[in-house]
Order: sequence, then structure tokens, then C-alpha cells
Amino acid sequence: MSTLKLDVNSYRDLLKQYIEYQDEQALYRAEQFSKQAIQHNISPDEIVDVYIQSLLDLYPDLSPSVKHSLNFLLETMISFGMAYQEFQALREKQLELQSEISVAANMQQTLLSTTKPNIPNMDLGAISAPAKQMNGDYYHFVEDEQGSLGIAIADVIGKGVPAALCMSMIKYSMESFPHSRMEPGVILEGMNRVVERNVDPSMFVTMFYGLYDGRNHEFHYSSAGHEPGFYYCAAEDAFYDIEAEGLVLGVDRKVTYHQYVQQVAPGDMVILLTDGVTECRVNDRFIEREEICEVLSQYKHLSAQEMTEQVYRYFERLQDFHLRDDFTMIILRRDV
Amino acid sequence: MDLTIEVAHDEHEQVRKVVLIGEIDAYTAPKLKETIVPLTEENGVEVVIDMHAISYMDSTGLGVFISALKSTKEHGSSLTFMNPQERVYRLFKITGLTEIMNIQTDYTVRGGM
Amino acid sequence: MDFQSCVTITKEWDIVGARQLGRDIAKKIGFGTVDQARIATAISELARNIYLYAGTGKICFETMDNLNSKGLRIIAIDNGPGIQDLTQVMTDGFSTSGGLGAGLPGVRRLMDEFDVHSQEGEGTEINVVKWLR
Repeated sequence: MSTLKLDVNSYRDLLKQYIEYQDEQALYRAEQFSKQAIQHNISPDEIVDVYIQSLLDLYPDLSPSVKHSLNFLLETMISFGMAYQEFQALREKQLELQSEISVAANMQQTLLSTTKPNIPNMDLGAISAPAKQMNGDYYHFVEDEQGSLGIAIADVIGKGVPAALCMSMIKYSMESFPHSRMEPGVILEGMNRVVERNVDPSMFVTMFYGLYDGRNHEFHYSSAGHEPGFYYCAAEDAFYDIEAEGLVLGVDRKVTYHQYVQQVAPGDMVILLTDGVTECRVNDRFIEREEICEVLSQYKHLSAQEMTEQVYRYFERLQDFHLRDDFTMIILRRDV
Repeated sequence: MDLTIEVAHDEHEQVRKVVLIGEIDAYTAPKLKETIVPLTEENGVEVVIDMHAISYMDSTGLGVFISALKSTKEHGSSLTFMNPQERVYRLFKITGLTEIMNIQTDYTVRGGM
Repeated sequence: MDFQSCVTITKEWDIVGARQLGRDIAKKIGFGTVDQARIATAISELARNIYLYAGTGKICFETMDNLNSKGLRIIAIDNGPGIQDLTQVMTDGFSTSGGLGAGLPGVRRLMDEFDVHSQEGEGTEINVVKWLR
């Protein structure tokens, strides 16, 4: 039980010193004693026992009723001792879990890493930050030989480990698609079948897939119930919602996804995000989508990557540096 | 940050009225699921959920309603949502669930609850 | 085995009787006050489990006297519903008492040896030993 037998003699001497002089030094040493006891996993009932033994050593003629009362005290401490040991065991277990989770989080980072492609005349920025250690958001870039860029962004319901597990499944399924130019609607339909077959009924995933064609500067996209992104029109200096209808993944096996097209002019931007951005709640106030546009507008002179970072910092500060949900934002800007 | 769930058996035997008051999030969703899903497991019943007093719902809440919807298909029951607030309705709308769920926003249709 | 004596548990009051007998035997064997208190607490847990989950059962005591060591063996037997998932019951923090250090993990800590056999629908037998040091 205890790794160190309590030293009854030194406790007795300390007690004796205090009873005689009532000095602060003895009390200070008592404090040291209790800290040491904690370090050596000695439970409170053992301290009471040492106290009783010391007292009986010092006063052998202690009245029987006081002796009985001390045993009574000891009896009431036994359960505290048990609770203390349980606490110790749980604390060890918690540390173990924590280190397991951080190993898993590292694995996930490696797993979900995607390289931001360098495409001529296109400025790309991306940021993704988990609320807890593990991320339930996902984004991925796919580039093909014809100069098209595929962008996937997805959000699993919930956060933490269960969401992260589901996310890994999304990642592997996405990789099973051929790396050549794929229609967004077709990709979402394929992903929908995967999610529907493999997750719990109350779990679902929202996903947006966009395909940017570098030759004609058309942005083709479909959405599976994903938080609408923004389209920034440089000529008008205005933000618009990227509206797209479509059911979340994992609810109905037979759903089809409509595909939309947006012509992208020089200086225009496509901004994709997850609801960790829009569902951000500060005290009792919700972040309105207009506020996100204002923040974006404020930083639009920066590069796409710097913009995502500045927006992230803004929301991080707003939420007092404690994200409530995973946060992901992707910005794509046509330069020329 | 709490959720109150009131279940009333209507004068019509086949209707289960559920009034929800408060917030639906990761903490209150399990309790909601325990109440709602079993109600949908009875063939032929109509579960009517009054949403007007829900001031906040996150995606975990949607997850509960999706599993309830799947359960109605399995058990031959039905599910109707009454009068969600704008912010909550928006969540149903964005996720495409308004297309497959019965959501009533007219107070006069079924009489005020 | 020197002698065995048992207390039948059918009502809450019997828990006190089991504690009393256990403590008396422990004292006779030569356990100090802390160990007496720990043994009594372990008996409480075992007896309360019988009272709450099986309704009826018994707690038996055996003094152990080998060549080089003395000790007390406590056996709790009931014909209750049995324990479905022993691993779960033996996990810290699982106890229905709300993590107050009690439950079977608590008993295991209080004693030196611990063994449990349980058959669903037939009952549970828990066998614990405290050695005198």
C-alpha cells in the first residue's frame, strides 16, 4: 500500500515539540511531513494512526474515553483513505489516457496532412485547428495534370476521438477515388454511400467538394449539407453566400447531389469553412455571417494563407483562446 | 444550458406530443435521444416535437433527430417538428434535412401547443 | 483452517453483526487498530453488496495459521443474480456508489489477497485474505 513506512518516531518528536512550544517551526515541519506523505502515497487514515500511536507514546496514561474517541476518529478516516487511493489510481489512468490521445493526435496529423499545391496564378490558404486534441474537420487538395484543383472540406458531427475516427475513414475513402478529374456530385454520392454504410445512425458528415478548372476559371461544386462558404467578387467588392442544396452524408443512401458552377474573375475569392466558424458562440451571442465577412474584408489585402491565419486569430481571441468546435477555413484566390 | 423534455399522450391515441425547452447540445443530446427514439419505435404513432422553446441546437441535436427519422422508417411511425426558431430552422435547412423531414412552421395548422 | 464461523446477511442490520464478528476475530489474531478498521470496512462493502444486489447470503471467517504467517480469510457467498461483467466491476470509478473509493476495487485495496467467482443467475463468491505483518 504505502511505499514508505511512516516514521512514527520523527512524527512523535515533532508532535512533542509542538505541544511544548507551539512554535511555527514545528507547524512548518508538519506541513513538510504531510507533503512527503502525499508524495509517498500515504493515505489520511495512516496519518491518523501515526498520530494516535505518537499520542499514546507521549501520554501512556491517556484516559480510556479519549483513547476510544481516537479509534472512532480512525474509523471515520478509513473510507477517506480508500477514496484517496482510488483517486491516485484514476489520476494515473488519466495520464495514461492523455498520452495515448496525444499519440493518436500525432498519428492523425500525419494521416490527414495534405500538401497545399502551388498552382500558377492561384493563391491558396488553409488552416484547421481542433477544439480538443483530435480533429473532426478534414480538408484535402487534389491536383491533376490538366491544371484542375479539387478541394474537399468536411465536418464530422461532434468532436474529439469519435469524430476523428470517422474522419480517418473519410480520408481513406477519398483516396480510393481516381486522382484524375472527378465531378463533385459524383464524389459526394460515393462518399454518401461509404458514410451511410459505416457509421452509427446518429452520426453524420457534412462535406463540400469543389473543382477549380484552371483553363476556363470555372469553379464547379456540390455540397452535402455543408455550411455555405463565401464568394468574394472583386469587381463589386462584395461577399456572397455560396448556396448549394444537398443532404448531409450518411442519412439516405439514394441521394443525388446537384452540381453548381461559378465563374471566377481575377481577384475573386472562394472561401470555404466549417460550422466551427459560424457556430462560434461568445457568451450568449452568436457570430453572424456578416461578421465573418467583415473580418475577411479587413484582411483581404493579405495573402490567402495570412488571411486564414488572421481570421483564425480573430475567432480564437473572441472565444477567449478556448475553441468550442474544430475550426477550418480554406481560401482560394485567382491572382491574374 | 439545460433541456426540459415533456412528453404528453394526446387525446388521439396515436399522437405523442413532445415539448422541448432549452438547449440541445452534446450534453443534453443523450437524454433527448433516450426519450425520442423509443417513441418512434411504435408502429403507426405520430411523434410531434414542439421546437419553439429551443433557443440553441448544435449538430449533435440534428444527429439525434436523424436517428429518430431512421427509426420511423424502420418502425412505420412518423415524425413532425413544430415551429423551430429561425436559427434552429437554418440548421435543418443548410443540412438539407428540410427536404426529408416534416417541419411545420405555421402555428394555425395543428393548433397552438 | 482452524475454525469457520458465518453471519447470514438478510437485512441491513446484519452488516453490523458481520463487522462485529470480523473485528473480534481480527483482534484475537492480533491485528492493530488500523487493520481492524480496514477489515471492518471491507466486510461492510462485501455485506452491503449481498444485501443490495443478492438480497441474502453469508459472510464467513477463517483464521489462517501457517508456520510463518497468520491471517484472516473472509468469504462472501450469495445466490444472487451474479456479476455480468467482472472486469467492469473491478474498474476504479465504475462503482454505483459514485466513486467514493468503495466497491470491489476498494475491498481489493483494503485486503492482501482478493479472488472473485461469479456465475450469472447462480451467484457470487468473493474470497479475501488479510495477513498479519
